[in-house]
Amino acid sequence: MADILGVVFRRFASGTVTSDVIFPPDAEANTLVLGDVNISRSVLFLAAVTAATDLGLKVLFFTQTPFQSLPSNTFFFMHVHLQNVKLVYVKTLEELVEDIASLHELASPPSLIIVDGLDHYLHRSRVRPLQDDLSPVAHVAALLHDTAAFLSQILQNRADGQGLCRVMVSFQSECEGSRDSEALAPELLLCVLDRYLQVSGGGICQSCVLRWYSSGTWCCWQEVLWSSGSFHTKNGITNLPWLVVHKFNTFGLTFRIKNT
Amino acid sequence: MGSSLPSVAEQLLKDLQRTYLETKQIPDDLLIAKLRFVFGPCALQALDLVDQRSVTCVSSPSGRDAFQVLGGSGRLYTCFTSCHYCPCPAFSFSVLRRNESLMCKHLLAACLSQAMGLWQQEQVSDQQMTHILSGQTEAST
Repeated sequence: MADILGVVFRRFASGTVTSDVIFPPDAEANTLVLGDVNISRSVLFLAAVTAATDLGLKVLFFTQTPFQSLPSNTFFFMHVHLQNVKLVYVKTLEELVEDIASLHELASPPSLIIVDGLDHYLHRSRVRPLQDDLSPVAHVAALLHDTAAFLSQILQNRADGQGLCRVMVSFQSECEGSRDSEALAPELLLCVLDRYLQVSGGGICQSCVLRWYSSGTWCCWQEVLWSSGSFHTKNGITNLPWLVVHKFNTFGLTFRIKNT
Repeated sequence: MGSSLPSVAEQLLKDLQRTYLETKQIPDDLLIAKLRFVFGPCALQALDLVDQRSVTCVSSPSGRDAFQVLGGSGRLYTCFTSCHYCPCPAFSFSVLRRNESLMCKHLLAACLSQAMGLWQQEQVSDQQMTHILSGQTEAST
């Protein structure tokens, strides 16, 4: 899904929408998106509609907060297959877990599962995690992994299906203003997420973490690796150069590629 | 550490499986020693769970599977088939937080049961499977 995001950024770069973007032949990675909650949410939504439109994927988008409006650059999406994007509004971690656990019951399973703001689900769990208990985050991450693995088997067995079910998760590693003094350190939570989503490049899938670096109104994406409890820049294999994102309202985004 | 096993642990389980297929016997002292070396003190506890037939593979009409392991306290722990996760406190502390162990005894029991074919089978409905996977169903005997 990192390649999906690369298409999103290139398509909307320079403030103009382009349709002549070559789509990567393989988009098999899980992706963990870190950083500003509003920008991550917008990017995930754009990734969802891009995956639905360009790849014909069925997308399930879990989020706590209903979308009040679409991104301002969605004039591009006049032809978008939004019927392939299902928005699921769940308030609590328990509801999220139950919905993910029930995906095996669907007659037509999704090929892309997006969870927006996983950190907020964890912080607002009715059953508050103990200070030293990583079980809730491990449960939801492992369940996502196991569900995606099962749905991939289903999709591969179908003649007309895409072969894999992928996962994208956004997570704000520093929760400004909402940090509970008893909450687990973000690094521990990220380690657990990496264990199950395997976004640090372990295994066969090429995965990535995208992290925001913000300075005033300008935020930069950088494709990084999460390894051994810290971030490392990916050298030479990133599909994303430094991307400068201007957030001009709460939902609208423009992108500008900055050459390094 | 990822949610899969290091290669030495994988190979040990394969050796166990091959040995059990050939002899139909619980592993000998050497293999048990290897299990203890790789997996730590929980290896013997896991073998006890296997011996007690405490591992059940639950399946639903959708094709979804999961393993349920009956712990010593009578609590049922649900483990997934594609990655290593257990809801028990030992997994959360020793594996996830401290990175001291590869697995807890419940997970290892599930792996050993798979290697030796010593699990029980139970069919459940799709809805029951959803409850099991979401951690809502825990039965005690």
